[in-house]
Amino acid sequence: MRLISLIFISVLIVSCKKDEPIDPPVAENLSNGMVVLCEGLFQHNNSTVSWVDFSTGSIANNLFATKTGRQLGDTGNDMQRYGGKIYIVVTVSSTVEVMNATSFSSIKQISMIQNGVAKQPRSLAFHNGKVYVSCYDGFVDVIDTTSLAVTQRIPVGSNPEGLSVSNNKLYVANSGGLNFPVPDSTVSVIDLTSHLEVERITVGINPGGVITDAEGDVYVIARGDYGVEPSRMVRIDTQLDNVDETFTFDASDMYPMNDKFLVTYFNHSTQASTIGLFNPLTESMEVPNYISTAGITTLYGVSYRPSSNTLFLLDAMNYTNSGYVREYSLTGGLVQNFHVGLNPTKIIFL
Amino acid sequence: MRLIIVPFLILTFTSFAQVDSVQRVNEVVVSYAMRKPRMVQPRHTSISIKVIEEMAPEDAGELIRKFAGVSLKSYGGLGGLKTVSMRGLGANHTAVVSDGFSLSNAQTGQINLGQIQAENITNIVSIVGASGSFYQPISAQISGSLFLLETFENSFSRDTLQIRSSVRYGSFQQKNGYFGVKYTPNRFFISVSGAYRDAEGNYPYTFQNGVHQLNLERTNNDYKDWYYGVSAGFKGKKTVARLGYKRKQFYQGLPGAVILYNQTQDERLTTKEDLAFGDFSLNYDRLQLRIYGNGSLNAMNYIDPTYFNSVGKIDVTYDNRSLTAGISVRADLHKYLEVFGGMEEVLSDLKTNDSTFAQPVRFHNFGLLGLRFRKGRFGAEVHASSQYVDEQNRHGNSAHNRFRVSPFTSGTVRFMRDMAAVEGWYRNSFRMPNFNELYYNNIGNNQLEPEDAHQFNLGIRTMPVVKNMNFQLRVNGFYNRVQHKIVAIPTQNLFVWSMQNIGEVEIYGGEAIFSAQKRIGKDWSIVTDLNYTFQHTVDITDSESPTYQHQVAYIPLHSANGDVSIHYKQTGIRISSNFVSERYALNENNAANRIEGFYTIDASIFHKMKVAQKNRIQLQLTMKNVTNNSYAYIRSFVMPGINYLISLSYAFN
Repeated sequence: MRLISLIFISVLIVSCKKDEPIDPPVAENLSNGMVVLCEGLFQHNNSTVSWVDFSTGSIANNLFATKTGRQLGDTGNDMQRYGGKIYIVVTVSSTVEVMNATSFSSIKQISMIQNGVAKQPRSLAFHNGKVYVSCYDGFVDVIDTTSLAVTQRIPVGSNPEGLSVSNNKLYVANSGGLNFPVPDSTVSVIDLTSHLEVERITVGINPGGVITDAEGDVYVIARGDYGVEPSRMVRIDTQLDNVDETFTFDASDMYPMNDKFLVTYFNHSTQASTIGLFNPLTESMEVPNYISTAGITTLYGVSYRPSSNTLFLLDAMNYTNSGYVREYSLTGGLVQNFHVGLNPTKIIFL
Repeated sequence: MRLIIVPFLILTFTSFAQVDSVQRVNEVVVSYAMRKPRMVQPRHTSISIKVIEEMAPEDAGELIRKFAGVSLKSYGGLGGLKTVSMRGLGANHTAVVSDGFSLSNAQTGQINLGQIQAENITNIVSIVGASGSFYQPISAQISGSLFLLETFENSFSRDTLQIRSSVRYGSFQQKNGYFGVKYTPNRFFISVSGAYRDAEGNYPYTFQNGVHQLNLERTNNDYKDWYYGVSAGFKGKKTVARLGYKRKQFYQGLPGAVILYNQTQDERLTTKEDLAFGDFSLNYDRLQLRIYGNGSLNAMNYIDPTYFNSVGKIDVTYDNRSLTAGISVRADLHKYLEVFGGMEEVLSDLKTNDSTFAQPVRFHNFGLLGLRFRKGRFGAEVHASSQYVDEQNRHGNSAHNRFRVSPFTSGTVRFMRDMAAVEGWYRNSFRMPNFNELYYNNIGNNQLEPEDAHQFNLGIRTMPVVKNMNFQLRVNGFYNRVQHKIVAIPTQNLFVWSMQNIGEVEIYGGEAIFSAQKRIGKDWSIVTDLNYTFQHTVDITDSESPTYQHQVAYIPLHSANGDVSIHYKQTGIRISSNFVSERYALNENNAANRIEGFYTIDASIFHKMKVAQKNRIQLQLTMKNVTNNSYAYIRSFVMPGINYLISLSYAFN
């Protein structure tokens, strides 16, 4: 009996709760740093927001929980700033979180559940005091920035992803991703005065990201079928609302950098990523391999920070291990690494 | 199949000619248990009917978690997915056998223990490190670990008429009825049995969200299932034959993970299963032979009524069919030496209305040949097993053929007048990739190789006789290694994952199992069962990886069970506790992935009455999770708090 009690006692001792690593204290108001949205993993409720303080170098990986006293939820997919507020779209939890952009305190959680069905919000765009949220159930929701309530639902194509404003119109990528292997291949054009869909442009299989350049041209990524059909960047003429050009280089995502774009590409077979510099004014790829991605395991996004003139590369590692934000100079030298949460996907510099 | 059926018929007819006495020969067959030499502790641990009755388990999973070495993964709720892995090997290395027939599913490679009702189970044996009994299917004898279920309806009995029945009512509107009758006039038996259960299933739970404790209710957790079966058997002087059929149906809501701020789960699952099985065994003094065959059709229908594709829902059916035929033989070569072995063929296929899935047909051959030596206090066994898989996919590329041979060896020495034994063994086993891993939409990878497990074990077991007390102690130390582990890794983005043979896992650990029974005076008795498992199960795939030497997801470092049962005359109580230490939801052992350890305590109080000699009535009240702990085996799949069950059972003979 003595042996048994010894075993049980040792079980109890060893299994005693270890202390949680405590986040460094976060100031009342956030400045000189970056807010990083980490997507987490589906059904793990572990989407988080990290705060990196550039003056001290400290990283708080539970910023959202620290500031709000609750968790962000499941699969945070987009985060953008508009005016004095930061909007976070949480897809599986089906919420839009509205935060104060200075203090990061919660202003409102908008539930995106309607009649018992989760609308699964995906991405954000803003125009004239309105927030436009693409929802996987085939709508773009209009949220008023004052009342912070959904005022209208605009029907579009299936499973809309990215969206962008140009020429008083909203361009919405209808991915049809949930209809795989037969995805959608169109972009819906919504008139921002009437809030009605006025056009549907065919751009190529499985449209994803949408971005507008300084001249008002809209660029869309048609992501293909991850197999035979390649992933391509397409330019839309927003006067005529038709496809102007489909570029021949491989492209998975686009990110703004001053007046240019960083175009990333992840090669499925080699697992390698490239980042090219695209000039939308000359409409050509200026530097195909702009920054080396040798130190990156899985490139999950890029952000350019004008004040330091550096690039922040989001590394999702193997998607199941916590990720990194890696800062690079424009000459390609690694400046520093920041260890953040699972699958970092969006950055806002404050 | 034709080859097997012909000898089956021939042997059946010849055996009728030699029918004589029923006695002696088939003691072992009757119970389908291990040989139990007198005064020697059984080699394997088991849970007997007495304990099963006192625990009032929901299903076989709730029983199997009581064994040492087991890690249960439970997604919660009646009928919810429950799988077990043994000593860190992964659920696909565990075989489950019911009355000598394998339960298996080529699509998932594992069995949902939540869908195996427990009222009819009379015994469960956990086998690691032995080929099991010759009465088990060859495929099960060569698997990494094995659980044997024995049921009321498929065994012979000494009484002409036996009845088993029970009704239960419990929390969350759980209703349950079971009835089995078996008629055994001399050499034959025929049994009819069936059970029904349903539950509204919605249970309250608490969920910690930051500083807020949420009190919520689990929804879409309703459940209904039933089964019925008929079995018959014949026992001759040197022969035994059995035949049976069972039909099972399950209707359930899938509550899914608890998603913060979103409680809109509405998926449903319907499963219908037909099973037919038969075997024939021949028992001479020096030769024993068993021919067995079984077929199953498992039709599963998954519905997600609010999916945002063009038809607005997912409605997919998977029909898994399998046919098994096998032969198992053992013979005495010499006074001390026996030879054993056999062959099994399994033909399985999958049909589905999911156009992106494959339509595979698998031919799986298992072979076994071994020698067993026993002399005095020494025992040794060596065997080699083989697996060959030939596969055709009618929709696209097929996986290539695979062939593997694996060895096993063990040695035992008994001492202390046979009351103690030391045993060491090594087993190499393979588990073939299942249909989901090979073919599931974009995820499947038809280039997968079998996953390879090596197990080493050194153990001691003893049952010293102490005055007025019976007790048993077992201690095992083990070292395991899993190579070419099949893991899902994302390849393109979070929605495009792929199965790869890249994992390597190292496991070392130990188990201590203790049980004691003591009678106090004429009226009192006390039974204690304790076990503790330590399993250091770490990822050693890549020394550069952040998860190198981290404990593998969902395997606890420590787990333990403690049960005490006290009887006074016809009344008794049982306290059953289960402890699982902290685990990680992903392989990276950081605070964000940590899942709290937990313990649960169940208590039951029961009273047994005998009416007119052979009629037994038992009334029982069971309280589960007495301390109302909030816990989860799997992250975000919360388990119920305190709940109650009242049951009344009646048995004749």
